[in-house]
Amino acid sequence: MKTVRTDVLVIGTGFGAAAPALRLAQAGASVVMIEKGPKLQTADFRQTSDPKYILKYLKGISGDHLRLTYAEALGGGSGFYEMVSLRAPTLAFEQLDEAGRLLWPAGVDRPALDPYYALAERMLHVAQIPIEEVPKTGLVFAQLMKNLGLSVDRCRYAVRGCQGSGFCVTGCVYGAKQSLFLNYLPQAVAAGANIETDLEALAIQPIGGIRWRRGCALRELPYRYRVTARRRGGSGDLIVFVARVVILGGGTVGTAKLLSASRPYLPLLSEHVGRNIAYNGSVKVAALLPDGMPDADMFTGRTHPGMVSYQFLGSHGITVHAVKALPLMLVSAAHLGLHGDFWGAKNVELMRQVRHRMIILDAFGLTPPGGALQVVAGDATMSLPLTARLRAYHAETKRLLESILERNGCRMV
Amino acid sequence: MQHDISRRHLIQQLGLIAAGLAAACTPARVLINAYPQVFDDDPALVDRVLRAFVITVIPAAPADDADLTRAFTDPDYPLAPYAAFFAADLARRGRDRFGAAFERLAPEARTAIVGDGLAADATSRKLYNGAIALAQIAFYAGIYDARKGCALIDFEGANHWHPLADITYPDPTRFLGEALTPDGNHD
Repeated sequence: MKTVRTDVLVIGTGFGAAAPALRLAQAGASVVMIEKGPKLQTADFRQTSDPKYILKYLKGISGDHLRLTYAEALGGGSGFYEMVSLRAPTLAFEQLDEAGRLLWPAGVDRPALDPYYALAERMLHVAQIPIEEVPKTGLVFAQLMKNLGLSVDRCRYAVRGCQGSGFCVTGCVYGAKQSLFLNYLPQAVAAGANIETDLEALAIQPIGGIRWRRGCALRELPYRYRVTARRRGGSGDLIVFVARVVILGGGTVGTAKLLSASRPYLPLLSEHVGRNIAYNGSVKVAALLPDGMPDADMFTGRTHPGMVSYQFLGSHGITVHAVKALPLMLVSAAHLGLHGDFWGAKNVELMRQVRHRMIILDAFGLTPPGGALQVVAGDATMSLPLTARLRAYHAETKRLLESILERNGCRMV
Repeated sequence: MQHDISRRHLIQQLGLIAAGLAAACTPARVLINAYPQVFDDDPALVDRVLRAFVITVIPAAPADDADLTRAFTDPDYPLAPYAAFFAADLARRGRDRFGAAFERLAPEARTAIVGDGLAADATSRKLYNGAIALAQIAFYAGIYDARKGCALIDFEGANHWHPLADITYPDPTRFLGEALTPDGNHD
């Protein structure tokens, strides 16, 4: 079994992993990053809705009332997200739990994080979309809001030279989306970091009998952890990493699974691992535009159609967006609800109108972090108790979105 | 011939598509029923039945489209091991209710048969939901030719470049109301 010694082992290559890997490598530490998914670069992306392609990189776990989608590939979800890059509003840091305690640690708030947001935005070339590039669906959404005297703002994206192909979520074949393998990761490699893909961390074991003191330099720390990893596909070889510091950047699912698997070796591991998972509070409604309203376009222009409304952030804790979706996502979403005419002649008539006459609104909200991830024999499932507070949030948000559409004369579908 | 297909496996596989590409997990140990050998021996029969199924689910789909039923027997998709069983189930329901082969029934009768499957037991419901989703995904998303797209819904597929003038509207400021922030980030 091969053994690798490193100052820092970073597990994952997504947003939570890439920044610390780069900064530590630049500071002179030896850094190894390991990624469960395959190597990925712009040339690997395809503009297709073929589930075979999508499932190669995007994984999902389901459960009662909540489904998580995540990426397993170099750069994590950065290859496949809609490239929306907004700073979390102050309200997000002021959320309280059921006992009235702040969810975020003291001192972690928007002013404290703003310098780091600014740094990340420079790295990812984040900018507000120019008004002349807002896709038709975004402009129609803006019109619906304007008709009711409601505000909209142009959104911010990590993109340079967007071609408006409409395939953001299958990976940008033009290299315009600023995925992490275009910036943080190659810079980390240039600073001396090593990245290993197709390598899954199996368990973390502390090395016993080690004494160390807080506040000493990284290089003065003893080697404190052994992390066993397995090569995926092919050989299945095991590799042991011995590290002074381990950074867990495997995302909500990956990190919880790894820690759960390591529980036998980590007696002080909190029982809260895998609990209190926050999600985006997404509530969607769809409708057909009334006569007289200009056409939207479900399939061209960047996937997130350019506009965000903060109108209800203070009153309801939500932002409101319009949604565009490729046919695969439209069909899948229809089948998740399994209501209405999801097949047959009426469904065909609806599908004919999807591209130009359908408008989908989506609200993202500050919902209580009640999700829990259970890992049994390596398989993960999600659960989300439907509390009265959550039911009320969902019902009220849905009513609000429907009201926006109905007061504009849209026909709900 | 008895075909023992694990019901749990069937549900798990179909759940991948019917539940939006996320894995389903419904414990059950019952086995689905036997079906006639002819559906294993005659791929053309299976294709005729499945083709009739797809144009029932998507009535405007061109019946002669070469890729119309391809996903049902594509080993990369979860229905492939059950395609013959599914065709046999459609045939049985057509024969029992209308006394004729499913593929020869009028559209209204075929619609009723698919409705029967969706209203049947939990395994049948999963099977029929999964088959409908697979048919729709394959057709509307054009999964076998990314450049073809789907003319029925005006989806152009891959690599259809549009100038900015096609993507947006001239004078876009006329659509906009008040903005709450100077730069898109809310304080």
